[in-house]
Parts: sequence; C-alpha cells; structure tokens
Amino acid sequence: MDFSVAFPALVAGRLALAYSPLSDWLKDDHLLSSPLTSYSRCAVRSVLPGQYTLVLMLKTRYLLNPYIWLPTLALSTSSFENTLCVLSLLFACQGRPSASVLTLALLTQLSMPLVLLLLPILLLIVTSPVSCLASPRPFLADIRKTLPLLAEFIAYSVVLSLAATLVCGNRLWVTQSWIAPLVLPDLTPNPGLWWYFFTEMFDHFRPFFLMVHLLIYVVPMCIKFQHDMLYACFLLLGVFATFKAYPTLSEPGLFLSMTALFPETFAYLHWPIVTALLHLHASLLLPLFHSLWLVQGTGNANFFYASTLVFGMANGAALLDAIWAGLRIALGELKDGCEVIQE
Amino acid sequence: MASSLLASWLRLYPTVQVFATWTGITCAQVNSQDIPARQFFERHGGSTSGHTNNWAVLVCASRYWFNYRHMANALGMYRTVKRLGIPDSNIILMLADDVACNPRNKVPGCVYADQARSLDLYGDNIEVDYRGYEVTVENFLRVLTGRMDPSVPRSKRLLTDDRSNIFVYMTGHGGNEFLKFQDNEEISAFDIADAFEQMWQKKRYNEIFFMIDTCQANTMYSKFYSPNILATGSSDIHENSYSHENDYDIGVAVIDKFTHYILQFMEGINKTSQASMQDLFNIYDYKKFDSNAGVRSDLFGRPLTHALVTDFFGGVAQAEVLKSSLPEVRAEADFESWDTSPSSATHTDDYIVPLVLPDITDTGNSSTEPVPDNNESLFPEPHLMDLFVSARAAPGSLRGAMAGTARSWASTLIVLALVAWVCAKR
Repeated sequence: MDFSVAFPALVAGRLALAYSPLSDWLKDDHLLSSPLTSYSRCAVRSVLPGQYTLVLMLKTRYLLNPYIWLPTLALSTSSFENTLCVLSLLFACQGRPSASVLTLALLTQLSMPLVLLLLPILLLIVTSPVSCLASPRPFLADIRKTLPLLAEFIAYSVVLSLAATLVCGNRLWVTQSWIAPLVLPDLTPNPGLWWYFFTEMFDHFRPFFLMVHLLIYVVPMCIKFQHDMLYACFLLLGVFATFKAYPTLSEPGLFLSMTALFPETFAYLHWPIVTALLHLHASLLLPLFHSLWLVQGTGNANFFYASTLVFGMANGAALLDAIWAGLRIALGELKDGCEVIQE
Repeated sequence: MASSLLASWLRLYPTVQVFATWTGITCAQVNSQDIPARQFFERHGGSTSGHTNNWAVLVCASRYWFNYRHMANALGMYRTVKRLGIPDSNIILMLADDVACNPRNKVPGCVYADQARSLDLYGDNIEVDYRGYEVTVENFLRVLTGRMDPSVPRSKRLLTDDRSNIFVYMTGHGGNEFLKFQDNEEISAFDIADAFEQMWQKKRYNEIFFMIDTCQANTMYSKFYSPNILATGSSDIHENSYSHENDYDIGVAVIDKFTHYILQFMEGINKTSQASMQDLFNIYDYKKFDSNAGVRSDLFGRPLTHALVTDFFGGVAQAEVLKSSLPEVRAEADFESWDTSPSSATHTDDYIVPLVLPDITDTGNSSTEPVPDNNESLFPEPHLMDLFVSARAAPGSLRGAMAGTARSWASTLIVLALVAWVCAKR
C-alpha cells in the first residue's frame, strides 16, 4: 500500500471525523480530554529493514488507536501533551538535544508530572537510540554530559514560566497548573485511580501516593534499562499512564501505540491476549458505568471505580508484560530443557 | 384681674413657647420620616397596600373520595401561592382527607385538577399542616385567632402581625351561612366574622382576602363586620356551585368551576404582575360558572383597581438598590436627569434610588391605573442602567484590557523566539 496515498487518506478521514457531529457529543467529556488540532507524529525509529512499511504500521497504530483520537474529539489538552512528549523523544533520538529539551520544557509547562521524563530523556540524548535490548551492556556514556543539558532545561523552563506569568499577570497559574497534580484538589471522576481513593483515604497518605509513587519508578527504570533508554522512557510513560494524578485516555493510548516501536518484544510477551481483553473490557465498561452512575442515576460510584480498576489493571498488565519482554529478549532463544525463572 | 391673668400668662409664655416648638419639631420629624416610607410603598406599581408579609390559610373541609375536587381546589391554590412567593412557613394548609395516597387513587401520590393530568398538584415538595381529623372547626378558629395551647408547634400557627395580608380560602360543602366540616360539624358565617373581628382587635392582620368555593357561598361573607376585608364567593343564596371536569379513570370530578377559572387566571400571573383584584373579578361570568359569583368590597379600604393580585396571592417583596454599592458613580446628578417619575423630584437623599420594575405581565391582565413607566423607553432594565453609568465612569478598565492583550502578545513572542532560536541553533 502506497504510503503517500494512505497517509493523506488517514488524515482526511480523521479530520472528517473531527468535523462530524460526533465531536460535539464528545466535547468536554472529562473522561476523554484532548484538543482537536494537535496531531502528533509518532517517533520514526526502526532497526529493521522495510523501513517505510514499518513507519506506516507505526503511524496507523498511532492514528487508529481509539485511545488517541477519542480524546482529541473531546477537545482535551492531553493531545498537546502527547505531541510534545513524542516530539521530545523524536528529537532526542535524532540527536537534537536543544530541541528535545525545549519540547520537554514545554511539556512540563502543560503537565508537571512529566518532568520525571527529564532524566531518561537526558540519558537518551547522551546515549544512542539504537535498540540494545537484545544485547544489554552497561552505561557507557558520560553522565556529566547531561549537566549542561539540565541547565539548558532549567533555563528554558524559567523563560517559559516568565512568559506564562506575563500572560496571566500574576503567579496564580502555578497553583492551578503545577501544584494541582501534586495536591489533587479536584476529585472529579476520571479514568484514574486516585479520585475515589482520596475520598476514602486519609489526607496523610496524599503525598505518598501522588508524589512519591511516581518518583520511585524513575531511577530504577533508568538503571535497569540503561542499555536502552528509549525503552526506559517507554516504560515510564506506562507508569505515568497508570499512576498519574489526572490521567486521560491519551496517556495509556500513547503507551500502547509506542509498543509498535519495539516489535522485537512481541515474541516474548506473556499475556498479550489478556492485556488486549482487559483493555477491551475497560473501554466498554468505563463509558457504560459512567453513564449509569452520572447520567441515569441507577448505578453508583463503585461501578465506575470498578471499571477504572479494570483499566488500571489493563495498564498494569501491559506495563508488566513490556518489562518482562524487554528483559527477556536479552536471554534470547532457550535451549531445550531450560526455563526462565525470576529470582 | 385681667392684668394678673395677663401677668401670669406672660410668665408662662416662654415655657409654652418651648413646648409648642418642641411638639412642632417632633411632629415635623414624624411627618418627614413618614414621607420616604410612604413613597417607598407607593413607588412600585402604585400599590397602596402597606403590608410587609403574606400569609395564606387554605382549608378543604370535606373528606371522602368523592370530594376529590375539594382537595384539588385547595392544592391548586396552595401551588399558586407557593409559586408566587409565599413560603411554606407562611401557609397553613388544612386537608380533611388524603386523596393522593388513597387506595382508590389510580395514580398514587398524585392529585390532578384536570382530565389531561397536565400538572401534579401533590408533587414532591408539599407541607400539609392540618390533615385528616385535625381539620375541625375548633382548630380552624384557633388558627385564625391564635389562641392555642403552648404545645402546638410553630408550623401550625398563624403568626401574623398588623402588617400581614392574609388569603383565606375555604372549600367544601356549604349552605346558607354554614360550611360543613368533616361530615359531622359546621362552621357558620357568624363564627368566621367573629374570628376576624378578634383578629382585628388583636391587630393580627393588615388586610384579609376571603375566598370561598361552596354552594351558596356568598352567604358566608355576608356577616363580616371588621375593616379591611375583601371577600368573594362562588355562588349566591339558593344557588349551587358546580364542578368543572370529571376524570373518567379516577372516577370523580377533579375541580370546581369557580376555582378552575380562578386558577386559570392565576397561571398568567407571576411575581412582578401588576394585575389588580378588579382584573381578577372581571373574569366572573355566569355563563362560565353557572352561578352568580359575588364580591364584597364595602369593608375594603382601597379601590379594587389599586389592590394588586400579588398583594394577597404572592409573597412579593419590594427591594431597592442602595447607591452606595457603586462608589465611583456620581449618583445624584445623573439620576435626576434620567428619572422623571414624580416622586423623585421631592427627595434629596441619595441613599434611595427609584428602580421601577418593568411591567412584564401579558397584556390581557394589565391594570388600568397608570404605572410610572417613564424610564422604560430609555432603560428597560434597571441594572443595565447602573452598568452603563459605571462603565462610563471607569475609563481605566479599557487600559487594563489593552494591557492584557499586550501581555499575551509579548509572551507569545517570547515563546516563539525561544523556539526559533533553538531551531536555528542545531
């Protein structure tokens, strides 16, 4: 299939969908949330031959993923965040450190928890994006080369914060935009886990679940996957999709679409069918129970929370499987009579 | 003799003079305080009522399923007075039987006043104060006179004062100067008249509007002798009042003619209505009611064209905006040029701003007396008037808006410059 025909057709189809009445129906649906115009390209990266067919596959896997285009129909800003995230990874892979750091700074302005991607992206810039999953080796590059990039990131963040303060005229946007995911002031139901959690849990545990829980995954991932930082970024995106304070459908969508970047892992996935079915279940149950609870009034919050738990389980299953597969590749083909066990 | 009298008078003169001036001053003060208060009450739609709160006593005196229409009458009036602003705390609703939860009710929990069942009069938010066997002549008279046992709760008391307008509505089976309560006792016209006189002596009302929908209803108000009572009844002596509509599923008549047409008129009334009681009585028609509905207004102090329907049926409060809420507005000079209603020329104080409420009732019910609507052609909505003034008086806001756009452009340029610099850097 000719790429130059398929791609415009897909874009045209997507835009037609955007201008259909469907978008009015989905607009401002707080389950979905993402804006219309941001339409990110997926990262162009491949180590296998047949580059263009793979590129087409990647593009279609991203563009046709309902978790990606449903939020854009609902006019949420998480599509912008997806764009900037993927652009940042793209520039890091292409060896354009300033551009990567700038897009990451822009991303941090929009969504503060994603600042935790700074470490893996800096390490990705410093190392090579070529996949070494099959042949892990210790971290070769010089960590000190990341320090000027860190300074650059801080500088860009400062300039962007100044621009934001200039637009607002005051510094109130800091509490609304940055402090909100840490403090979780608004418990509007969303596909995440925390809105229900914190109606029940003591406030004593808020810092642990909201701040610590995301922090603790960064360094171990970077250490364990030091041979393939892009994979570490990918896994951290999965972590954020599951445990973010105000998640939308686009973060797990990005995570699932990015699995297409690592086709070598597909052979080693434990339970891809289970994950797919869990996602199918969750995507059917989420709007159903949401409507049953909030629109019809015949259900209650527990219904919807159960479906978000299923969704979380789906994300968790995908994440665990990806971690397992990423590590399993290094062991390669098994000799007869051998088994892989986890210590 | 005369000279000694003259001498004593001359000695007393200073004290007399002081006393005279003191009385003159106090009288003048009383009069000058009276004027703004009277002007406040007269300013809005020309209502000359002088009441500050509204109460309603709605009585359905008959029980049993076949008297469904009496319950629907009372509930229709209840809904109307509630809609027009009298709160539940100011309504005493007495229903002698419960038709909504009657086992014979085909639509349980609902009471309808028409065959089409367009409006459920029972609904979710209803407060019946006296129900079932509590609706007796004794309780009714105790409610009116206020002479009750200290243990009776507040919700069952008529806590009126001398500035209360009371709407008393009674419906049931009646006859020549009597009304049947509960199938075993009667109240007579003399009893109600004496109760109203007790209320007048105890200053328990400002004005009463008495409405009764029974057979030979006009006889019930023939014995009143206290001032400030306006009364109306559905039929004359030796005449019956008829029911209006049957519901063939429920199986009984659901509303009476007199109450039905009154309620139909009231559906066109809202809280700002300037319709008068004369407009209400103008709908009386023998061809519609099949009976001669009557009005007694000789005890009523004001002309019927001046008495508003909302004086009795609604809990309409008059409010005026204090100018001190808009500090930067130069109030007096501007407002004197705009406000041409007669009362404003006399007052010089700047704490009261005359805001004439626009007459937004439908034209069919417009009152005949002149409403001061001089402002309407220029400024139809009072609060828009204040907005214009404050906008004119505050030019700094425009600069603020320009500064905002400048700031957003500046920040956009900063971000674009940053992006361009990074792209160029490579």
